[in-house]
Amino acid sequence: MNELLIKNACVIDPLRGINAETMDIAIRDGRIVEEVSGAAEVIDAHGALTLPGGIDSHTHICGTKVNFGRYMSPEDMRAGRTPRRGPLHATSGYSVPTTYGNSYRYSVMGYTTLLEGAMAPLEARHTHEEFTYTPLQDTMANVLFDGNWGVMEAIRDGDIKRVAAIIAWTLRAVKGFGVKLTNPGGTEAWQWGKNVSCIRDPVPYFEVTPAEIIRSVVEANELLHLPHSVHLHCNNLGTPGNYTCTLGSLGLIPDLNRKRQTLYATHVQFHAYGGSGWRDFCSKSEPIARFVNMRPQIVMDMGQVMFGKTTTMTADGPMEFNLYRLHHDKWSNHDVELETGSGIIPVIYRRKNLVNSIMWAIGLELALLTKSPWQCLLTTDNPNGAPFVRYPEIIALLMSKRYRDAEFATVHPDTAARVPLPAIERELDWYEIAVMTRAGQAKALGIQDLGKGHLGPGAEADIAIYPLRIDEVDPSTDYRKVIEAFGRTEYTIKRGRVVARRGECLVDGSNATFWVRPKVSDAYDMGKDPDFIEKFDRYYTVRMRNYPVQEEYLNRNRCIETEAAI
Amino acid sequence: MKVTLAMKPGPRSFIPIEAESIVPKNFLAGTDLAVWRGNRELRLDEVFSVSVEGDADRPEDVEVVLSGDDTFRLKRVGEYMDGGKITVLGDIGMHCGNFMSGGTIEIHGNADGWLGREMTGGTILCRGDVADYCASGYRGGRKGMKGGSVEVFGRAGDFLAESIAGGTVTVHGDAGDMAGAEMHGGTLIVHGDCRRPAANMKTGSCYVYGTAQGMLPTFAKNGTVQHEGRTLIHFTGDIANRGKGNLFVKGYKYLD
Ligand SMILES: [Zn+2]
Ligand SMILES: [Zn+2]
Repeated sequence: MNELLIKNACVIDPLRGINAETMDIAIRDGRIVEEVSGAAEVIDAHGALTLPGGIDSHTHICGTKVNFGRYMSPEDMRAGRTPRRGPLHATSGYSVPTTYGNSYRYSVMGYTTLLEGAMAPLEARHTHEEFTYTPLQDTMANVLFDGNWGVMEAIRDGDIKRVAAIIAWTLRAVKGFGVKLTNPGGTEAWQWGKNVSCIRDPVPYFEVTPAEIIRSVVEANELLHLPHSVHLHCNNLGTPGNYTCTLGSLGLIPDLNRKRQTLYATHVQFHAYGGSGWRDFCSKSEPIARFVNMRPQIVMDMGQVMFGKTTTMTADGPMEFNLYRLHHDKWSNHDVELETGSGIIPVIYRRKNLVNSIMWAIGLELALLTKSPWQCLLTTDNPNGAPFVRYPEIIALLMSKRYRDAEFATVHPDTAARVPLPAIERELDWYEIAVMTRAGQAKALGIQDLGKGHLGPGAEADIAIYPLRIDEVDPSTDYRKVIEAFGRTEYTIKRGRVVARRGECLVDGSNATFWVRPKVSDAYDMGKDPDFIEKFDRYYTVRMRNYPVQEEYLNRNRCIETEAAI
Repeated sequence: MKVTLAMKPGPRSFIPIEAESIVPKNFLAGTDLAVWRGNRELRLDEVFSVSVEGDADRPEDVEVVLSGDDTFRLKRVGEYMDGGKITVLGDIGMHCGNFMSGGTIEIHGNADGWLGREMTGGTILCRGDVADYCASGYRGGRKGMKGGSVEVFGRAGDFLAESIAGGTVTVHGDAGDMAGAEMHGGTLIVHGDCRRPAANMKTGSCYVYGTAQGMLPTFAKNGTVQHEGRTLIHFTGDIANRGKGNLFVKGYKYLD
C-alpha cells in the first residue's frame, strides 16, 4: 500500500466546482481517497496553487508524421539536447523532440495526459510504440477517418449504421480513442492532385461532400456512444476568407449529447481568417466566437501561434503543399493507402510578418471572446502553432492585458487595423485557466468518469502543484511570475507518485494507453462482413488478419467498452 | 607566440579526439586546456608535447603548430577561431575550422569531412585532398559557408560547398558528386571535373574548368563567355528551384 498526503494545497478543481479552497488531498495506490493512515508520506504544499494534472486534448507527439518531422529536421534535433541523467534518458529536439523529450518537458509543466491528434489507422503500431516511450503521461490517439474508402462508400449509400460499424471495427483494430476528420474529403482529393474548396465540393470518385462526411460521421460517433465527440480539423485550413467555411461546418452540427459537446473543432485559429487574399487578410475571430457562444454543442481549441521556429505537420496533405509553395523550404508528403495522408514542413513565425502577427492575435481573441472557458481549450496544435513549451506564455497572455499590450507593441504595425485584440479588456482568472488546461479537456474527451481532470475521491492521482500563491501574485501585472510558475511545477504527481520536482524529472514512469472498444451486434461486426472483407483483401496491401494492433503494443492497456446502438 | 603541439606516439588507435579547445586565442591564457577522447577528458599535455616560444596578447599573434602521425584523429580544431594561425603538419580530422570567422588554417596533408563547415570569415588552405562536405552546411542546416575563403590543392569529395551562401571555395583538382548543391551565394571554382554541379542553386557563381559530368537538365544555356583566358559555357538556374545562379563549365555531359 502506497499512501501520500498533500497538505495545505490551494485547490482549483473546476469539475467539482472548487475554486481556490485550501485543503488536503489523500492518495492511496494511485487514486485519490477520502483519507489515509498516519503512515502516509506527507507533502506540504504551503498554500501553492494545486490543480489536477494537465491534459492536452490535441497535440502531435507520436507516430509516423511526427517521426518524419524528426528525421527531416536534424537541425531541430540539435536544438534541445539534454544528457542522460539518473533514470532519465538523453533527449534532443525542440519542435519535434524525441519521445522522452516530449514526455519530460510536458511533465515538468504539470501535464499528465496527452491525446495524439491524428493517428493513421494503417500506421497505428508506430504511434503505440512511441506511446510506450512517453513514460510520464497517459496517452490516447484520435484515429483518422477523413479519407476512409469504406466510410465514404457507406455515406454515399446513405448507410449511417455501416459508417458506425466501420469506425467501431477500426477503432478496436488500431486501439484508437476518438474519431478524427482532417480536411474531410480533401486528403482523398489530394490523391488525385486536388483539394476540396469547402464543404459542398464533392470528393472525386466517391461523390460525397465534406458536409455529408461530417454529418454522417457525427451521427455514427453518437450511435457508438464514444466517450469523445468527433474531432474536426475543418476544410480550407490557413486560407484567407476561410471563416465562412468554418461557420458552415459548425452550422452542420446538431446537439446530440447531454454530457459533452457533439463536435470538437480543433486549432480554430487556423480557420478564422477573413479577407479575399493575403493583401486584405484579417481576423474573423469575432463571428466564430459569437457562433460558438450560441452553441453548447461545439467545443474548440485555440491552435495558438507563437513567434519562433517550429514544424508544421498534419494529415492535411494539400494544405501542406500550399505552405511549401509559400515557404519554399523542405517538404514531406505522405500517402496512407485507402485512409488518409500527411504533409510536413518547417516554419518560422515572425513578428515582423503581418500575416503571422494576425495569426498570433486570432488565437488569443478566440480564447478571450468565447464566453465559456469550457468551449475554448488551450492548445498550440503542438507543434503546428508553436511547441507546447510555450503554453506558460499563452496562459500569461490570456491573464494579462498589460502583457498582451507589451507584446502587441512589438508585432507588425499594421496588425492593429486587422484584428480586434487591442480592444479586448478581458483577463482570464485562475479558475478559467484551470478549465482551459485540464478540466475542459477531461470533459470534452469524456474521460472525467475515468478519473481524469479532477481531484475527487476515486480519481487518478494526477496532480500538478505550481510554485505560486494566488493570493500573492496578481497575474495582470506579475505575468513573468505566472510564466515561470506554469513552466515548472513544484511537484508533478502521476498516479500517486512524484514524477517531477522543480523542473527535474525523477523517475522513468510507466504510462497507460486509453482506447475504445464499441460493442456492436453481430450484424454490424465488420470482421464478419463479406463485402468488407472482400474489399479489404482487394485493396489493402496488408492482410486483414495482420492489420489489427496486438495488445502487446500497448504498455498499460486501458480499454473502454461502450454499448453501441447498432 | 608560437605554440607547438606534437602528438605523443601511443598505441595505434582510431578513437577521435575532440579538440575544439585548440584555437589560437585560448593559448593567450596559457596551455592549461583539455580535450576529450571518447568519454574521457584529457589534459592537453597528456596528448601532446607542448612547447611555447615567445608571448602574445592578441590572437592574431598566436600560431599553433600541430604535428605527429595521428593528427587525423583530431576533430574540431579551430572551431570558432577568430584570428591567428593554425598549421597542421599532417592530416586533420573532421570539422576543422567549424564556424571560423578569422585567421588562417593551413593543412599540409589531407582534411577529413566538414572542413570549414559554416565558416563566416578567414582563410583555409589545404595542400592535400579534402573529404566530403568541405565548406558546407551541416545536416538540415540552410546555410553553409557564408564568408572567407577555402583553397584546396588536391581533390574534393562529394557535396563540396553544399548550401554555400558567401565567400569563395577553390579546388585545384577534381571534385565529387553534388558540388555546390543548394548554393545560394558565394563562388565555387573547380579546376578539374565534378559531377552534377550546382544542383538546386538559387544564386551565386559556380565555375567548372573541367567537365561537368551528369550535368543537370534544369539549367538554361546562355552561350559562351571569356573568363580568365578560358572559354566557358554559361548556364543559369537551377530552374527547378526558380534559381538565378550562374554556372560556367568548360565542358559538360548530360546523363544518358
Ligand atoms: Zn489538424
Ligand atoms: Zn493537429
